[in-house]
Amino acid sequence: MDQYNNFKLEDFIWDAYFRKWVLHPTRETEESWHLWLENNPDKTELVLRAAGIVKAVAPVSIPLDETEKKLAISGIVSKMDSSAEEILHQPVSYFSKIWLRSAAVIMLLAGLGWILWTRNQQRQVDYKQLVAHAEEQLVEKINHTRNPLLIRLPDGSTVKLSPGGRISFPAKSRLTREVYLSGEAFFDITRDSSRPFFVYANEVVTKVLGTSFSVRSYSGEKQVSVSVRTGKVAVFTRRDAEMTHKQRSKELTGVVIEPNQQIVVSRESVKMIKSLVSSPQIIADGTVNYNFEFDDVPASEVFAALRRAYGIDSRYDSEMMNDCPVTARLTDLPLYEKLDLVCKAINATYERTDASIIIKGNGCGQAANP
Amino acid sequence: MKILKANCQQEEDEMNLWRNMLEGNAACYEQLINKTYNLLFQYGCRFSSDREMLKDCIQDVFLEIWEKRKVLNQHIPPRAYLLASLRRRIHRVAQQSRFQTTENFEKSISDFNVECSAEHLFIQSEQDQQLAERITFLLNELPKRQQEAIFLRFFNDLERDQIADIMDIHPQSVSNLLQSAFRTIKIHWKIIVSLLYLPGFE
Repeated sequence: MDQYNNFKLEDFIWDAYFRKWVLHPTRETEESWHLWLENNPDKTELVLRAAGIVKAVAPVSIPLDETEKKLAISGIVSKMDSSAEEILHQPVSYFSKIWLRSAAVIMLLAGLGWILWTRNQQRQVDYKQLVAHAEEQLVEKINHTRNPLLIRLPDGSTVKLSPGGRISFPAKSRLTREVYLSGEAFFDITRDSSRPFFVYANEVVTKVLGTSFSVRSYSGEKQVSVSVRTGKVAVFTRRDAEMTHKQRSKELTGVVIEPNQQIVVSRESVKMIKSLVSSPQIIADGTVNYNFEFDDVPASEVFAALRRAYGIDSRYDSEMMNDCPVTARLTDLPLYEKLDLVCKAINATYERTDASIIIKGNGCGQAANP
Repeated sequence: MKILKANCQQEEDEMNLWRNMLEGNAACYEQLINKTYNLLFQYGCRFSSDREMLKDCIQDVFLEIWEKRKVLNQHIPPRAYLLASLRRRIHRVAQQSRFQTTENFEKSISDFNVECSAEHLFIQSEQDQQLAERITFLLNELPKRQQEAIFLRFFNDLERDQIADIMDIHPQSVSNLLQSAFRTIKIHWKIIVSLLYLPGFE
């Protein structure tokens, strides 16, 4: 049965011996497949899926009800040349066996389903468990150095792995892009909207199409955090009932975070808190050079420029802010200091909410208005 | 003619039923009919939509093996033998009816199409459901002879040589039929998977 160890979904679906077990189980096939599954518990889900597909596709069946069949059979039996005495109609329950078999298969599948279900429901999952359950052959990199380690993934994406971190990923990039992370890493993912990139870190799943972001997840820590530099990522947890759906959907569903936002997931409660990162970075895409030198420019334009540069949603009354001219050199300052300065200049204040900035001011318009 | 007192182990497989039947065990004979009737009926429906004619053919096949039980080889697999006999018989009847009347025999209305049960108990995800539907579509697009070989090999667990006997072709031709079917399936599978499994995992 060793040849099955590397079987993929389609290999199972078209394997005669596998089909025999699924479609016409016998004691022998039951035993050998059970044994194989015991030795390869990580294949359980794959085998379940293949079995489901095998069972779902069947030759078009022309209905033949039991009465019609019994009648036909007794017709045959009655026509046998039976000169001698015969005792044919012993009550034999031919169907009890079929029922038993079906029941056994249903029990088996139900049992496997339950195992899978409980596994998904496990309280806490860490890197080791995730890697142990991965379907594909993984390559592991561990950063034993004191400096960040730059790793290039098969799909061209790069990972900057912090000291002490470890990461596992499939040796070959095939249909999916998935990595397992313990520790902290910054990811720069090449865009491929047909193959989302997944980072599995403890209970948290991060799904991206093509962005840069970092994930921090140590087995010993109570939180997992994800923050985004560019692009968008979706974050959900393994305990999410809709996890599979979120994983497979072509859109980014779940809690979506955008540049300079972060999400902190508490591992015990699986509560997610979205906030702005402590020092937002300019979203550099290499083409635009942001200019933060303002000379007598309405405050609303300054805020709009900051919003574009940092990708952070900011809310303000643009009509009021139109009347406030600002002259400032802000280029080398962090975002919050820029905001401090501008707000001071126009006598306004700002507030950071979960994922945006709200600027409150009374405007400067009274003097300007006739 | 001696008929053994009816006594047939319930757990017998078809091979044993066949052997016991050849020795004159009528109970095993009946059990063998019971076990294989559905398969013969479903297979026969691929060649004729005339139920009564089909049931007659099946009856003749079974009566014939009972009559010939003294001379039949006890090592041949019963399923293959029965299917082959049925296929031959249906064609013979079809040819006769061509000269008589065609009203009772509509030629091969059914074929070897497969279907995909819409909400199958065991399918867990929408993706797998779609996969199953694509497989169904693919199989139904195959040439008829390939479909028949697949029907026998993958849905009814018959060996290559048995299929050769049933379809009355050389075993190598069976291999060729299955291989070309798989070539088609494999090519399309890649496309299907790449379309379906955009975000999924394998």
